[in-house]
Amino acid sequence: MLFRTSLALLSLLFVAIAGGAATPQSAPGDVFPFTTYETTLDNGLRVVTIPYDSPGIVAYYLVVRTGARDEVEAGHSGFAHFFEHMMFRGTDKYSQDTYTGLIKRMGANSNASTWDDKTIYRLIGPSRELATMMDVESDRFQNLKYDEEGFRTESRAVLGEYNKGASSPFLPMQEKLRDLAFDKHTYKHSTIGFLADIKAMPGYYQYSLGFFKRFYRPENVTLLVVGDVKRETVEALAKQYYGGWKKGYEPASIPAEPEQTAQRQAHLDWPAPVHPLAMMAWHTPAHSATSVDSAALDLIAEVVFGETSPLYRDLVVEKQWVDLLDGDADPHRDPYLFTVTVRAKSDDLLPKAQQAIDDAIATLQKQPVDAARLERIKSHQRYAFALGLSSAPAIASRAAQTIALDGEVSSLNQRFATYQKVTPADIQRVARAIFSPQNETIVTLSHAAAKAQGATGGAAHE
Amino acid sequence: MSNPRKLPAALLLAVAPLLAAAPSRAATAPASIEAVELPSSSSPLVSLRLQFDAGSIYDPPGKEGLAALTGLMLAEAGTQKRTYSDLIEALYPMAASIGLNTDREVTLISGTVHRDQLDSYTALLEEALLHPGFAESDFKRNKEQLLAFLTDTLRSGSDELLGLEALQDRIFAGHPYGHAPAGTVESLQRLTLDDVKAFYKERFTQGALLLGVAGGYPQGYVDRLKHDLAALPAGQNGRKPLPPLPKVSGRNFTLIEKQTASVGIHFGFPLPINRGDPDYFPLMVANSYLGEHRTFYGKLMTELRGERGLNYGDYSYIEYWFFPPGTDYPTPNVPRRQQYFSVWIRPVVPADAQFALRAGLYEVEKLHDQGMTKEDFEATRDLLINYSKLWAQTLDTRLGFLMDSKLYGMPSYFDEIEKRLKTMTVDEVNAAARKYLDPASFEAVVVTNNAVPFKATLQKDEPSSKKYESQVAPSVLEADKTIQALAVKPTKIDIVPIDQVFQK
Repeated sequence: MLFRTSLALLSLLFVAIAGGAATPQSAPGDVFPFTTYETTLDNGLRVVTIPYDSPGIVAYYLVVRTGARDEVEAGHSGFAHFFEHMMFRGTDKYSQDTYTGLIKRMGANSNASTWDDKTIYRLIGPSRELATMMDVESDRFQNLKYDEEGFRTESRAVLGEYNKGASSPFLPMQEKLRDLAFDKHTYKHSTIGFLADIKAMPGYYQYSLGFFKRFYRPENVTLLVVGDVKRETVEALAKQYYGGWKKGYEPASIPAEPEQTAQRQAHLDWPAPVHPLAMMAWHTPAHSATSVDSAALDLIAEVVFGETSPLYRDLVVEKQWVDLLDGDADPHRDPYLFTVTVRAKSDDLLPKAQQAIDDAIATLQKQPVDAARLERIKSHQRYAFALGLSSAPAIASRAAQTIALDGEVSSLNQRFATYQKVTPADIQRVARAIFSPQNETIVTLSHAAAKAQGATGGAAHE
Repeated sequence: MSNPRKLPAALLLAVAPLLAAAPSRAATAPASIEAVELPSSSSPLVSLRLQFDAGSIYDPPGKEGLAALTGLMLAEAGTQKRTYSDLIEALYPMAASIGLNTDREVTLISGTVHRDQLDSYTALLEEALLHPGFAESDFKRNKEQLLAFLTDTLRSGSDELLGLEALQDRIFAGHPYGHAPAGTVESLQRLTLDDVKAFYKERFTQGALLLGVAGGYPQGYVDRLKHDLAALPAGQNGRKPLPPLPKVSGRNFTLIEKQTASVGIHFGFPLPINRGDPDYFPLMVANSYLGEHRTFYGKLMTELRGERGLNYGDYSYIEYWFFPPGTDYPTPNVPRRQQYFSVWIRPVVPADAQFALRAGLYEVEKLHDQGMTKEDFEATRDLLINYSKLWAQTLDTRLGFLMDSKLYGMPSYFDEIEKRLKTMTVDEVNAAARKYLDPASFEAVVVTNNAVPFKATLQKDEPSSKKYESQVAPSVLEADKTIQALAVKPTKIDIVPIDQVFQK
């Protein structure tokens, strides 16, 4: 048990606001030890308050459960992220300049991030300015207003954002991997979107207005406040400022991904000299905080690819064939991918490294992982998580990720409780179910002048 | 949008060079190890920061990268008692690691651990630092990591990191700051394990160490740690003297030619002051107004991105800025005695490159020539007094800034900011901008696919033609007339193929 904050007394101050009941959540053994108050306004907006000892500082987050996953219309990849930019373009009450001026006066840090399943707005600043934060943030979420010219100008900043990432080989590899692995589901495209769609963004002003009306609704949003605040103050202000926000969320109809039946591969040429890379990915079930299979995948990432794994020791430390080895179960709301990324030190070593990865997976499928090692990995996960909870924004960030995935902060502790249940037999069973060649997609990348062995296909990046 | 991925520690290296501060101490035998303490009995964590005067300025000529490689051989290698794999295994259950960052002046070895694990962690850290294994296989692996950082991360992986690092090479050419801590492709080939052993003996000494400890450590812990670290060679106090600040004459361009879709632009020049100078604080206000990092209120950001949609972001700096993934605020423990001013214009489409350069230059010139209004000054001053409180939200970062404060000769950087800014006037700020931010001379680095035509464009210096896909404000178009015609007057333009960057 780490970071125990004894706020049990606060539960005596329990009050119900609007339609929801506020429930302090924290139990002995919880890896997320902070007392968490949740309530829901009549319009469906969830309000989560986590008091934390960060004198004078508050982390004010709005979690919108919409992201690139909701981009179901053809040609609109990247739109959720673009729309995140538009949220900074002002309202009748607070123009963009006024908004920026207020943030500046507060000395706050204001920004936002978009992923596949979520868009998270964050404001970190003085807790004494909580009411101002409530005022300006609730205003833009209800009354955003921008003209077509501002919309078109901002679309070019998004192109700039694409361009700044495009010099990395990881961007085209990710793009190709998703495009190849998914046929129907919107995870087919990356969060930033396809370049062609980004270039077409200036023409979608009307679409953007509809996007706001469909997704920026209280039922789809959670207000999360962490830091030097009192729960009663947060909830009263939330009711005052967000209470009038009208319902109207229209969930996107996201197509299910059919089962993959054969291995898929592609190779990308890179114009500059670069060490060869491979991404190997397998379809996985959707994230679930209570699913042993879902938790097992996170543990497999450590068991097979972590720094203490035999594979890491072999490939990185001893043979030194590779300098980058990473396995990631990247939790998503819908079925996604377990991705292994590897960078070899020369073109001839990449297929050898890929074979070693396949062998390590095959070993796991044949022999259960050592039970003591699995327990060490679980302990590591808990310590690593707890060590990260060192400031109000760090806590808010982790809580926000969980809210976006599961809807509730409490699922963080559920997730860690589920890890505890995972046995070596579970690991073996899940490994057998997931890591099959027909479920796999492979993308390799190497310098155009060099010939990557063991890869087929011939897609070029843009 | 951001989706930070885990990166190997070595990738962070050399993005950041190291150290700064007050006048050099005299070279004398150390009385004892200097320590900065920040106890917090309520904290379940303990953070250790061991900062050695062992940055890349101590690399012998031709052996660039030696400080960084030596650091790696302590932080990411085996000890005399256990292999690197066994060291990782031992650290693993406590989810701890031995962090490393080598900058120009210092090498920082750091870690944070739960206090329950403090004794075990301390023993491992001491083992790594006091009894390094210096195995040939670790040496090869770490050298290759540095090489991959140069070739894959800087040359082929990120045009932005490439530009930020190459700009320092240009501004400090011929100066001890004038090479990346990761070294060069050729110098790394020359490094031997004996070089590492010699550097370790010479630079990782008690005299070169500033120890920092923060958090919920028990009484007597720091004394015990100091006692153990006294096993390091005594060494001498005092940093290597630096030559005078380099002089930049004229407007010099280095066009790095590589296959890339967009154009990244950086320009800057040496600054004769650092945090220890009284003028630093008014200049801090001027710079924040111009381009506070990753905020939306700077003039560069509002004018280039906000009004014109030229790119993703535009910022300015009056000191070296270290960019570990996911941080928006200044990072401690990269002190430098000599600093530089710089402007970072994030990638633009090629057609806008000349205009974006002019627009950035225009904002600097305007601030230099006209200063800021009283209203803008007050807003920026108030911003900084509050905003700087966000820069050290964890004990670990607070400790780092306290260590920096010691080197820059002040009790607390944050107290100093508040104290100085509260009594500051707009005249002081404008005087500082006039004195220090004259862009008449600068070094610029441009990363582009079209170096030859861009060189011709710069040489002709004809008005840019900026076309917008959307209608922009009349005031913007009016300012554009001046920006488009702004004379850049380049003094010198060099084209450097990408495979020559960080080569020698």
